[in-house]
Amino acid sequence: MTNPIAFVKEYWRVILLVAFLAFAMVALFIPGGIMADDSLADNLGDNETAANQSGDEGFTNLEYGIGLDGGTRVSAPATGMMVDELDIDDNDQRDIETTLYAELDIERSDATVRYHENDDRYTAEVFTENVTAAEFASALQSAGLDATEDDVENGVTQETRDEMINTIELRVNEAGLSGGNVYQEATVDGGYYIVTEVPGMSPNELRGLLSDRGDVQIVAYHPDGNGNQTNDTVLNDDDFSDISPPAFNDREGTHYVPVTVDNTEGSDGNSAASEFQSSMNEYGFTSEGIGQCSVHDRDAGEFNFDQDQQQWCLLTVVDDEVIDAHSMSSGLGGDMESGTWANDPGFQMIVPTQQDAQYLSVNLQSGALTAPLDFSQEQTYSTEPALADQFKTFSLMIGILSVITVSGVVFLRYRDPRVAAPMVVTALSEVVILLGFAALIRMPIDLSHVAGFIAVVGTGVDDLIIIADEVMSDGNVSSQRVFESRFSKAFWVIGAAAATTVIALSPLAVLSLGDLRGFAIITILGVLIGVLITRPAYGGILERLLTDK
Amino acid sequence: MGYFDVPDIQYPRYTNRQLAAVPLGLLAVALLVLSGSFLLTGAPVPLGMDFTGGAELTIQTTSSEAQIQTAFSVEPDSIQRIQAPGVDNQYTVQFAGVEDDEAIQTLSEQATAELEQDGNAEIVQQESTASPSFAAQTQQTALLGLAVAFVGMSALTFLLFRTFVPSIAIVLSAFSDLVIPLAFMSIAGISLSLGTVAALLMLIGYSVDSDILLNNHVLRRSGDFYESTSRAMTTGVTMTITSMAAMLVMGIVASLFGIELLASIGTILFVGLAADLMNTYLLNLSLLRWYKFEGVRS
Repeated sequence: MTNPIAFVKEYWRVILLVAFLAFAMVALFIPGGIMADDSLADNLGDNETAANQSGDEGFTNLEYGIGLDGGTRVSAPATGMMVDELDIDDNDQRDIETTLYAELDIERSDATVRYHENDDRYTAEVFTENVTAAEFASALQSAGLDATEDDVENGVTQETRDEMINTIELRVNEAGLSGGNVYQEATVDGGYYIVTEVPGMSPNELRGLLSDRGDVQIVAYHPDGNGNQTNDTVLNDDDFSDISPPAFNDREGTHYVPVTVDNTEGSDGNSAASEFQSSMNEYGFTSEGIGQCSVHDRDAGEFNFDQDQQQWCLLTVVDDEVIDAHSMSSGLGGDMESGTWANDPGFQMIVPTQQDAQYLSVNLQSGALTAPLDFSQEQTYSTEPALADQFKTFSLMIGILSVITVSGVVFLRYRDPRVAAPMVVTALSEVVILLGFAALIRMPIDLSHVAGFIAVVGTGVDDLIIIADEVMSDGNVSSQRVFESRFSKAFWVIGAAAATTVIALSPLAVLSLGDLRGFAIITILGVLIGVLITRPAYGGILERLLTDK
Repeated sequence: MGYFDVPDIQYPRYTNRQLAAVPLGLLAVALLVLSGSFLLTGAPVPLGMDFTGGAELTIQTTSSEAQIQTAFSVEPDSIQRIQAPGVDNQYTVQFAGVEDDEAIQTLSEQATAELEQDGNAEIVQQESTASPSFAAQTQQTALLGLAVAFVGMSALTFLLFRTFVPSIAIVLSAFSDLVIPLAFMSIAGISLSLGTVAALLMLIGYSVDSDILLNNHVLRRSGDFYESTSRAMTTGVTMTITSMAAMLVMGIVASLFGIELLASIGTILFVGLAADLMNTYLLNLSLLRWYKFEGVRS
């Protein structure tokens, strides 16, 4: 065996297996693994998150899903319906939105008209359960559009779902939890679920985080000139350009969130800041209204809108709930009256408690959830970290027991350790390569993947039995030629069997059946690795052992 | 050759009809069980919470099973004690077919409120809930998945062998491999879960292996029919027995440990593979022999 080329030629199957095994070992055990940076697999795009997650996982680079690591997953669709391909003039987009708010009697956040630049079409969406398809269609008709009840589809646009996913990701990160994952999953009938996975959160906490719409508004509560009070929304959460972390004012003893109102001018020469400023001047906040707000009893934390005096209050409203009311200060009022405020439009949103400040800041940072999630169609899965640890140990035990069983049967059957031992070793190396692959792409391992690993050992050994029986049929294998011909005969069966397994499991790998995708992916990958790498190598090993060389 | 040898069935002594009668009879009984169950309960097999809506909680509590039974506003379908080494006071509680979304979401709060805490451990260790409409969606998806897998497997079989009788023999025995475990579930009261669906899909892939092996030996190799058959059987039975052993161990251990997913995959695959042994070497073989000796005579 002096010629290296001949050596490689003869043992290429085994060499390939050893190379893959070595690669898998590095990916599994060397800290940092093959991919030192997180660019490949970290779909949150947040390097810190991935680093935190892999830091405490023990001595392998494997990552675990919520079933083996603890955490909660909530899947729910977005609430809403839409009418696509509307024929709208470019200038009418806002007017139609305004008509929808008025006709359907809904909040600004509950309807939108979107323009899709790619294919030049408009979609109208409504995000509330309180509107029927018929009402939606008739509101569109009042806006002068050609839409019938049949045009109304359930569901929301991809843009809306993308915005929701973004908002939820921001919220999860704001909550200080690493390793969260938000994505959408298609269903058979064309709908989509938004799936949120967060390690270390209980179902109630996560539902709380997801059920808040987080729609922040500043409402001016002021006299309407006829002796009554009226409400006007003066700022929405998309009017802010910068939100600073919550802060505390020592002198006044108030908690607040420092914000900057957007003062970039739109096409009409106005900005959110200048419009806010002129509204404040128009409503009288900067003149007679300064300091005139007594609806909020801060000590009791109560609001009383039944006051004798005229009131000029700025209300902080989150999801239609007033969380704070305060008056215009003379300093800010003065700047607004002189018109200089809009040049440097800083502003403090005062709230009663530090908790409120935190909550407001998170909602302002992440923006409002474009559409609320429909919790009547939700699915939840959650595991406590203690039980997850227990599952980790148990699945390892089950895996080991299965391998021992398989080895036992194979040894009983063949009695010849030269045949049986490489069989067990080869089947195990399939699992090692798969684990290495999972560590490499940072696939979170869950219980369903464990089932997949066991299935892989099962199919793997089946195929090895086919190879062994075929190669050893009709007495001893004397020459390499005989071996090769028998081996390729065996391979036809293995290939056919592998193809059926892949076909049978591929629907699971594509369809959204929750837990089972991992099982299908691992089994399919295992079958492929087996057919392409490990099972040919077993042939090579058998050849070496049986052809009397 | 080994400590266990594959039995040699004296095939020439039996007619094709005799051979096929046993598996076809069992298939008929299985179909009867499924349709009977469908007429009685509206579903051929009991559907678990994944497909009807409901919840599954794993709880750790010092309360007794009787107390757990009455702790919830909805009566649990089953309470199973987990019997794993080093684990005490853990139970899996299932609620299937709960119509009310709100009730489903409050079950874990009820557990926390009504049951006794075991030391410092959280009472609700694992919670899995699905609302009825989500479950209906899952049911549809699972049915589609099974149908696509079966049709795909059948198409591939026809493509591989390109002759009608041997291919339909494989498809028929794969069908029976699915129906018999389903009937077993119906009788044993095992409800259909995502885990069992995975097992059924796996069974479609697994069970045809031995059929392909048999057909390959008989049709694509030279040699006497019975000799080819006996060789295919030696290999095929070893394969199936090995897989069955692994699945039996996984099924028993995982159900003791309370890992429902692995337990159902193990159990269903074990039953399905046992059915496959019979279907391959009685049903498929008789059809193949008919084809080989009479079908191609033209």
